[in-house]
Amino acid sequence: MHEGCVMNQGGNTQTVAPLDPNPIEKRYGVEGSQVQTSPYQYSTGSDAASWTTHSVDNQVVQQNGNYSNSNYYHPQPPVPATGNVQETSSSTSGTVNVAQDYSAYTPYQTPSDLQNYSNTGYTNYYSGCYQQQQPSQPYTQPVGAYQNTGAPYSSFQNPGSYAGTASYSGTYYNPADYQTTTGGYQSTAYNSQTAGGYVNQTPTSSNQGNYTSNPYQNYTPDAANIHSATTATATPVHYQQNYQQWPGYYSQTEVPCAPGTENLPATSAFSQSFPVAGGVASEMPASNGQPAPSYAQNWRQETDSSQPPPQQPAAAVSASNNAYWMHQTPSQQAHYPVPPQNHYQSPLETKPLYETPIQGHQRATYPQELNSQASIHQAPLGYRQPTQTTPSVDTQRVSKIQIPTNPRIASNLPSGYTKMNKERSPAGATQTPAYVSVSMSNPKGHTSAMPEPGTFPKALCGFVERAFARCKDDKEKASCQAALKKIITQATNDGTINTRDWDIEPLSTVLNTDVTNTESSSAPISSLQNKSPTRRPKSRWEPIVESKPFVKPASTFTSGVKFGGWNHPNVNNKKSSETFQKVDAVTGSKPTYFAQNSAKKSFQRPVKRQRFAGGAIDDEESSDSEKELTPYYSSAMSLASSADEKKRRDSRSKRFEKVQGHSRGNDIPKPKISNVRRGTALRLGEVLDESCGSRAVEDMDWDALTVKGTCQEIEKRYLRLTSAPDPTTVRPEDVLEKALSMVQDSPKNYLYKCDQLKSIRQDLTVQRIHNHLTAKVYETHARFALEAGDLTEYNQCLSQLKILYAEGIEGCTLEFAAYSLLYITLHSNNNRELLSSMSRLSKEAKGDEAVRHALSVRAAVTSGNYVMFFRLYKTAPNMNSCLMDLYVEKMRYKAVTFISRSCRPSIPVSYLAQVLGFAGTSSEGTGEKENDGMEECSEWLKAHGASLIADSNGDMVLDTKASSTSLFMPEPEDAVAHGDRYLDVNDFFTRT
Amino acid sequence: MAYVSMGEAHRRITEYLNRFCGAVSYQDSPMLCRLLSFSSNSPSLLSLADALNVFQDASSLIRQSDKFSEYGEILAHLFRSLQSYRVGNLVEAYLAFENFANAFVQEFRNWESAWALEALYVVCYEIRILAEKADKELTSNGKSPEKLKAAGSLLMKVFGVLADPYLVFFFLKLYGKGPKRVGALYVTCQLFKTYFKLGTVNLCRSVIRSIETARIFDYEEFPRRDKVTYMYYTGRLEVFNENFPAADTKLSYALQHCNPKRERNIRMILKYLIPVKLSLGIIPKDELLQKYNLHEYMNVVQALRKGDLRLLRHALQEHEDRFLRSGVYLVLEKLELQVYQRLMKKIYIIQKLSDPARAHQLKLEVIAKALRWLEIDMDLDEVECIMTILIYKNLVKGYLAHKSKVVVLSKQDPFPKLNGKPVGS
Repeated sequence: MHEGCVMNQGGNTQTVAPLDPNPIEKRYGVEGSQVQTSPYQYSTGSDAASWTTHSVDNQVVQQNGNYSNSNYYHPQPPVPATGNVQETSSSTSGTVNVAQDYSAYTPYQTPSDLQNYSNTGYTNYYSGCYQQQQPSQPYTQPVGAYQNTGAPYSSFQNPGSYAGTASYSGTYYNPADYQTTTGGYQSTAYNSQTAGGYVNQTPTSSNQGNYTSNPYQNYTPDAANIHSATTATATPVHYQQNYQQWPGYYSQTEVPCAPGTENLPATSAFSQSFPVAGGVASEMPASNGQPAPSYAQNWRQETDSSQPPPQQPAAAVSASNNAYWMHQTPSQQAHYPVPPQNHYQSPLETKPLYETPIQGHQRATYPQELNSQASIHQAPLGYRQPTQTTPSVDTQRVSKIQIPTNPRIASNLPSGYTKMNKERSPAGATQTPAYVSVSMSNPKGHTSAMPEPGTFPKALCGFVERAFARCKDDKEKASCQAALKKIITQATNDGTINTRDWDIEPLSTVLNTDVTNTESSSAPISSLQNKSPTRRPKSRWEPIVESKPFVKPASTFTSGVKFGGWNHPNVNNKKSSETFQKVDAVTGSKPTYFAQNSAKKSFQRPVKRQRFAGGAIDDEESSDSEKELTPYYSSAMSLASSADEKKRRDSRSKRFEKVQGHSRGNDIPKPKISNVRRGTALRLGEVLDESCGSRAVEDMDWDALTVKGTCQEIEKRYLRLTSAPDPTTVRPEDVLEKALSMVQDSPKNYLYKCDQLKSIRQDLTVQRIHNHLTAKVYETHARFALEAGDLTEYNQCLSQLKILYAEGIEGCTLEFAAYSLLYITLHSNNNRELLSSMSRLSKEAKGDEAVRHALSVRAAVTSGNYVMFFRLYKTAPNMNSCLMDLYVEKMRYKAVTFISRSCRPSIPVSYLAQVLGFAGTSSEGTGEKENDGMEECSEWLKAHGASLIADSNGDMVLDTKASSTSLFMPEPEDAVAHGDRYLDVNDFFTRT
Repeated sequence: MAYVSMGEAHRRITEYLNRFCGAVSYQDSPMLCRLLSFSSNSPSLLSLADALNVFQDASSLIRQSDKFSEYGEILAHLFRSLQSYRVGNLVEAYLAFENFANAFVQEFRNWESAWALEALYVVCYEIRILAEKADKELTSNGKSPEKLKAAGSLLMKVFGVLADPYLVFFFLKLYGKGPKRVGALYVTCQLFKTYFKLGTVNLCRSVIRSIETARIFDYEEFPRRDKVTYMYYTGRLEVFNENFPAADTKLSYALQHCNPKRERNIRMILKYLIPVKLSLGIIPKDELLQKYNLHEYMNVVQALRKGDLRLLRHALQEHEDRFLRSGVYLVLEKLELQVYQRLMKKIYIIQKLSDPARAHQLKLEVIAKALRWLEIDMDLDEVECIMTILIYKNLVKGYLAHKSKVVVLSKQDPFPKLNGKPVGS
């Protein structure tokens, strides 16, 4: 409904007046959903024309329950419409809208259904929040009769949208009561919570996502009503502002935003108009007006207020590539269900953009969605049947459901589907690219904004952080997150969230619950994860870009997990789990999706995408979709949507929060925190910011943002970071220690060691670890570099070591003081540098063997004492000889020039070989030594232009007089044009 | 700090403002210098600082009168700096003074004549001194000292103003010579001091290049004190580069033109000039070392005279820190070869006394024995190495017969004197 409304509104605002359904159709029609759109248009357009038709349309779109309640519900549809508008505006991507539309529609219907269900007792399943809705249920009960037929449907929807419906109904029936009563407040909280949860959850199942989005809208409207019943106009303004802000932030979004903003104004106008004359004002208003002008106002206001949140999720969805996919898929799916012909058309169009597999998925998903939608939209009875037919086995259900639903859908769906299609198709077709990137950030930010981090007591934040700190892996975190969510929801519901002493709250409860939750929820997740197994293993070593999206999805995952858990418990509680699940599958399409996901990965993905479209981001789905997307879209996309974007969006969302203030539920913060925890440090920073009020990004506490690695791999290739580090690919300190010793003992060549050490260094840097381990790593690397003659790397390490030593970190200070002394004397040959480094040596340092050796070498070099030099060369401690290697050639040449100038008439080569360090360098045996030295020495002398002759005894001697003028320094064989032979890759490889 | 009443404070501040404006309008450079020299700790400035700390709103006083407000920016920064300086907040004082200096230089640039050159000198000097003090404060607080670096860049800016070719050309046309550009050397010297302190000596190069190559500068036109300082620093740079003849020229110029009453300055010059001269084979008289309290060179000179390698090594070890810090350690270390030469000469003379016929044959054994007497243990290979170096560096004339382990000295001037030429030339 929301989407539909949004679409309608958007369409109206953008192209045609609210009245014209055709514009919408046109848009949708482009994709091929025109046929379907027509019904939709009817609903939207017909709003003006005839209320009943509107109601019907809405109901059709939304669900059966609405029909009966049409009058009451009608107002609701408008609300969703606003929600849609919001979504559209936020995401501005048609796909997003579509998804939202789906969700919106379903939610609406579901709400009504929920009400019915609640009447039935389904509501009982839901937690206190749901109970709150129950009060509304009585109100809705009348509706419920209608909906009762769709009871299974409603049950599913109940979690998300029930509350909303309840509130709605409450508002409708007893607006004053609701608002005034704490229940109404709770409901708002609930809504917000649910919204948050749903948003997060939506990822788990597209249906859920849709529902959630709907609930969001519904709920938010309620909250808005309560909070700002009178300030209808004000809220719209806020919205618009927000929208405008968003566009400003995201260039990409800007384009989409333009439509969105347009929509928003329209929505606002709608809301305004609603009060005036629901029927006449606009399609949407008409519906609203039917129920009750005042209501409509409330709703609209609410929706306005709520709009931002929905938009956010939608935006998020669109932002992520997944979202993109999702959107498209939804749209395609929508097409499918509505009119096969249209579907085909749309897929074709979309297909070029997306891969064929996706299309297939979409199709597959279509049936599912159709089923769910169809069931929802159509007769509840029919839904039940599908659900029934679909046994507990998800996969089976999916297939079965799809089959049964399709026919029904065909008949019933047209209207709803057409709407969906229309909405989806536009988004997917036109807006998708721009939206994709934008939407990602939005969802996160929005979700975070929704939660109102500020509302959480600090102690609670600390509690959550501690809980997460206990989590070792993602699974645990997910479960922990779910548990936390539960706890916090409960606390908010009984109003103890601010009174409870979170500091002493036992973590065990969370962790235990986590386990259970994980069990319940992890199954679907795992299945989802399994789908993309190939990517995951790779992702670690792959550029961070990919992995990041991964992480983010994980965060969303938790929400999804929670959702799943919720659903499952509900189902179990009811005992008619099968039917429920079926119902869920049908209504929420979550179960079906899950099943599908588990059963068919391809299917799952599309489904997920749909869910995203719904406005919520499924972590799992997002991850999957992201993975899928990555191949298609350049990594840049994901990057754009990742750290920076998130930051900005979060900051924006913060503003939202400030503006919207208090209406948001407390539940939302949890997901944020958890997300943050899981997600990148940046997100963490955002959360912190939020919790600490409004701090500029520059004022962030970077200490709190320091990445804590979770990677347990010992071996890791070095890749230069191009974005914020991903904790899942960063190794914690203990692992790094192992990695270091692994490298030290590794028999592999220097190139490998250098690579490994660089990655260790990177992980250390990223985690801001400055301790003995850091020093050890740099020392090790410096030694290896010296061994391999890689002076560039050696210098890098040495400069880092100097900093570390200056910080007072223990290490082989003296050894490296000696190295640096030698390096200066032998390589840089800078007197001032030498003087200053000598003057820095302490007494203790001068007593050290290595340093003393270095100082003697320096003395030998400055005085030209080659005998001393080569003696020191042979007795060098540590790696000193490696550095002396740098000077050996020069020293030998110097020595030979000295000798050939000073000695007459000749000098034996054997003597030179001994004095110039040729002897003894090759092998151990003394006899061999001499011989080897002789050969080497004579070759060296010849290479340098010395004239060698044999004396009377036949010994090789150097003719000094002849040599004194003929000596020359040959061009080094390994010289390279750029002067640094270490820069030559091939040469480097050959040497190592 | 004595108590200062509000009225008294007001009076003192107004008086200072009046004097400042008077100095500027009458182009009274000495007065302006007095008003600006913080480090002189003159009573008038101190009392002004006290007054400023009592009368907090000095800026309103400046704004009251058009006369003062013309230099409002300069004075406001100056007052803030003086206030912080008085209460010991040197970093704050430096920052305010930096702002003041910027404003002052801007004003100076606009003044047509160079009457305020002396005042500019004061500013340049004060900012360097303040920066050094501020750095000390920063270091003691565990922060990284960076103010001197900032002062360096500010001085560079001042140098740019003074050496601005357009400005110089303008003055050249007006007055036939460039009164402002003569200030460039003073600023250069302040820059040298800054860079040497910072250890960023290589930054001096660009300044030296513009001083020595730019046609706008006539070296003789610069004031003598600046020329001496300039020569001293460039001489030191040559010592680092081990370009001894050039260092000798520059340092000798500085020594000759240095005010003979400034013993401290002479000593500073001698600290570098003596090692340079030693490495050129010129040995100073003991009286000189004593007069200027250069005792650290006594043993070095003694070792060179006697050929006592052990004494040289001990002397180097004894004053290692000092020599390393001043940067002459490596220069003195290189004197070893001259000490060897002296030792050989001594052996040669002794041999000549006992056996004139074979005196020109120095057995490596004998040299090793002599070294052993000096408690320096060397085997024949090493001695041979030393001898090849000596012969190669032309400190000994002759050749080395490897087979018979004998150095055969030239019969004519076997130990040539350096006579002002560096070793190895």
